[in-house]
Amino acid sequence: MIQEVLMFGAILIPMIGALIIGVVPIFKDDKKRNICIFISLVLTLFIVILNCLYGDVSVTVLRLSEKLPILFKKDLMSKWFTMLCSFMWLMVGVFSFEYIKHEENRNRFYIFYLLTLGAILGLGFAGNFVTLYLCFEFMTFLSMPLVLHSGTKEAIQAAKKYLYYSIFGASLGLLNLFFISYYSPILEFLPGGVLNNISLTQNAHTTLLVVSFLSIIGFGAKAGMFPLHAWLPTAHPVAPAPASAVLSGVITKAGVLCIIRTVYYLFGVDFIRGTWVQYAWIILALITVFMGSMLAYNETIFKKRLAYSSVSQVSYILFGLALLNKIAFTGAMLHMYFHSLIKDVLFLTAGAIIYLTHKTNVKDFKAMGKRMPIVMWCFTIASLSLIGIPPLSGFISKWYLCVGSLSLNIQPYAILGPIVLIISALLTAGYLFTITINAFFPGNDFDYNSLEKIKEPKLMTIPMIILTILIVLFGLYPHGLLNIINSIVGTIL
Amino acid sequence: MEHLAFCQNFPFFTIIMTLSSGVICSILKPKKAMYFQCIVIFATFVMSLITLLFTLSTKTSYAFMMGHFPAPWGNELRIGPFESLMATCFSGIMLLSLIGGMSHIFEDTEEKKTNLYFCMISLLLSSLFALIYTNDIFTGYVFVEINTITSCAIVMLKYRGGKTIVATTRYMVMSLLGSGLFLLGITMLYDLTGHLLMPQLGQAVNLLVESNQYMFPLTVIIGLFSIGLSIKSALFPFHTWLPDAHGNATASSSAILSGLVLKGYIILLIKIFYRVIGLDVIEVDQVTNILFVFGILAMIIGSIKAISQQDIKKMLAYSSVAQIGYVYLGIGLGTNLGIIAASLQILAHAFTKPMLFVCSGGLMDVSGGSKQAKDLSGAGYRDKLTGVAFTIGGLSMVGIPLLAGFSTKFNLCMAAIEYGNIKMIMALIAIIISTVLNAMYYLPAIFNLYHVRHDDSFKDVKAHYHFSYAIVLVIFILLNFSIGIFSDTYESIISMGLSTFG
Repeated sequence: MIQEVLMFGAILIPMIGALIIGVVPIFKDDKKRNICIFISLVLTLFIVILNCLYGDVSVTVLRLSEKLPILFKKDLMSKWFTMLCSFMWLMVGVFSFEYIKHEENRNRFYIFYLLTLGAILGLGFAGNFVTLYLCFEFMTFLSMPLVLHSGTKEAIQAAKKYLYYSIFGASLGLLNLFFISYYSPILEFLPGGVLNNISLTQNAHTTLLVVSFLSIIGFGAKAGMFPLHAWLPTAHPVAPAPASAVLSGVITKAGVLCIIRTVYYLFGVDFIRGTWVQYAWIILALITVFMGSMLAYNETIFKKRLAYSSVSQVSYILFGLALLNKIAFTGAMLHMYFHSLIKDVLFLTAGAIIYLTHKTNVKDFKAMGKRMPIVMWCFTIASLSLIGIPPLSGFISKWYLCVGSLSLNIQPYAILGPIVLIISALLTAGYLFTITINAFFPGNDFDYNSLEKIKEPKLMTIPMIILTILIVLFGLYPHGLLNIINSIVGTIL
Repeated sequence: MEHLAFCQNFPFFTIIMTLSSGVICSILKPKKAMYFQCIVIFATFVMSLITLLFTLSTKTSYAFMMGHFPAPWGNELRIGPFESLMATCFSGIMLLSLIGGMSHIFEDTEEKKTNLYFCMISLLLSSLFALIYTNDIFTGYVFVEINTITSCAIVMLKYRGGKTIVATTRYMVMSLLGSGLFLLGITMLYDLTGHLLMPQLGQAVNLLVESNQYMFPLTVIIGLFSIGLSIKSALFPFHTWLPDAHGNATASSSAILSGLVLKGYIILLIKIFYRVIGLDVIEVDQVTNILFVFGILAMIIGSIKAISQQDIKKMLAYSSVAQIGYVYLGIGLGTNLGIIAASLQILAHAFTKPMLFVCSGGLMDVSGGSKQAKDLSGAGYRDKLTGVAFTIGGLSMVGIPLLAGFSTKFNLCMAAIEYGNIKMIMALIAIIISTVLNAMYYLPAIFNLYHVRHDDSFKDVKAHYHFSYAIVLVIFILLNFSIGIFSDTYESIISMGLSTFG
């Protein structure tokens, strides 16, 4: 009983928090509202941690029809994912208390911020495809107001673009549901897939492969994978910085989760392995990795550059998943966490710079390191990690990805992977280091006297510092995470 | 002659009651006519419900002889679970749309003519009942005509100068063309078989098919029936009359026209397919393929047109074109599952679209009577309940699980997958594209309702609606969820009904 309560508690608490802010008038006051939000975020995180301590559980809420139960289920994968979401939401939430001061409609922002958390936790706990689809759509709808928050024409266009790409992607993914429920009696997510004991005709086999490919592309839209990536660089930068942080850091991972559920829990690894689907997927992921880095390199608006970087980095994860072996999967899972931490730090940096200096173009960041040392140091460490320099965490995940790729027996993909990853790492260095260099070494002809130091608000720096410390710590001691991943891998590969 | 239970007479009563109440309404004062009409429709709803329960308990259908003239000559009704389910839903929705748009009815019609509106509604409902229940194809034709004339009348009664007349005339011309083709089909069929009652027709057509005679005329007949009834139900490319007619009528009229009137013809078509021609013949004849293709085109083109509409009612009207496309997609598959899915879509759309039209009326009230998107912005705050109902209706159209739209989409896709081959691929692609297109106009419309502009001139308008309006919206919302969550129940009734069609 306690288990069920805990699981639904995690989904409902942020929603209740949102409701309270929306309905009770005393929370129109900024300070009281912030306290309420903080309490709901901490409580959510606490309950998610409790959830992780308990074992697995599955609850059918109601049945839409014989074949379509709304089912919530807790397994290792959902623990892994919900932990990430609730932690990131808390960190970014704390940051936003300061940042949001220069935005309007703050209550609306927080209502949707919390509702999105509820939806994304629901997605994490979804036990079958209908539930996943339901939560996925709600996550899209509820996060849309975050994108269009500023209400400018540009923001509204971006939000619409986001919406259409996501819905198109989700409806491609929905094909899964139709076909799987036609061919298979089981619709629940099972480690290893549900198609194992079903004899399929040649025709059905081909159809299902096409369907699996379409749903990878469809959910890839959320994860910013080529060819449905175009919304991401438009939508992420126009949102307020905290929103871009969770969009890039966590919501893209929701797309990844959906792909994991589809490939590893619905179709099964053996069904995909060695087929054209796998190869096409690898190619698409690698194209995205390269293209994203390239575009980021050419971009000068800071947040846009970070958004392109997300396009590239999330496809590292997808590449790892596409290889369908243990080591690469480990790498992908690690990168899911590390990229989330790193990208959140980077977007929070961007937020802090915009909030404190109103500068958005990287060319104006000269001597920023002297003015805002804490922020820029966090930025530098996070960039180093994203590039993949040991002993920081990014190195670990990339190491696993490359080793996983090389251990594969399919040429030329096995060798192509590491090459593209390394080129992309170089480009990453190119687009992030230049900022650091500019910020700390403005050049001899720079007039140091005109520098004015900026006071960095504590609410902004503390979450950044915590995240940065985690980036370093996970790089030094990845064993805890590796143990958890090993137990996930053990069930599905 | 076997003895009939009393409630077996109810379908006949509903038709006669609504026919005669129309006459009575024409001499009553508007207010009294309204109360009288609501009571009558409620009574028909209760009777239909009892009939539904009765047919569900017996699990069979029965023929009801009118005037004691036995089979080949007399006129018959035929009542089974499918028919009574449809009749129950239709009368219920009719009542809800009427009450939901009541204030607008009194505003939009001329003061002394409001009772005529109720008279027309009454006749319209009567013809819908007859279309649903009739076992005689010529009676079907007669009531198709009554249906046409009354629905033109309820468009006309909102008098707003030349525009309404043009819209109505277009509607009239297209409708008459449709029923003309239908009549031609009946004539040819009568010429071939010498029958008008559906069971006898069915047998005669069967004999023709077995002896392989007159196959070409039979194909022509199927074509005439399909085209005639699809013009009347606004299937693409015969939809051009619909947006003007539905967009200019008063809220209740639009709700009833979109939600019910279009469906009456489709139900007649389904009955003809099952009971007169037979599904196997339909499949051989390939006429369904045409319906299928047009259905897909309707889904896509209707939605594309809807995207560019600034007028909320026109947008809803174009969305109806798209939704009718879904129905024809199911019918076009020509399989049992396909038609079950189509019937479910008929119900789902009948539950959703009237709600949206009623909502549009409510939203216009708080926006100075304008239907334009720019005036409606922020209306969701001004009238909260309507905003919520519109949101739920819109999400249902997009196809979010738990709501009606998703169930029908799921069923259509399952039917398509069962059918296999090229049609499956086409249907699935069309459904995906149309999902995205639906999202492209419903979601901005919903967003617009909650988007407050700075120069909002209706900021201080407060919604003051009648208590009954709120209840209607709540019932509509519950109905929508009921299909979304208990679609199995509806499906089993429909499939039980179709299996007794035999």
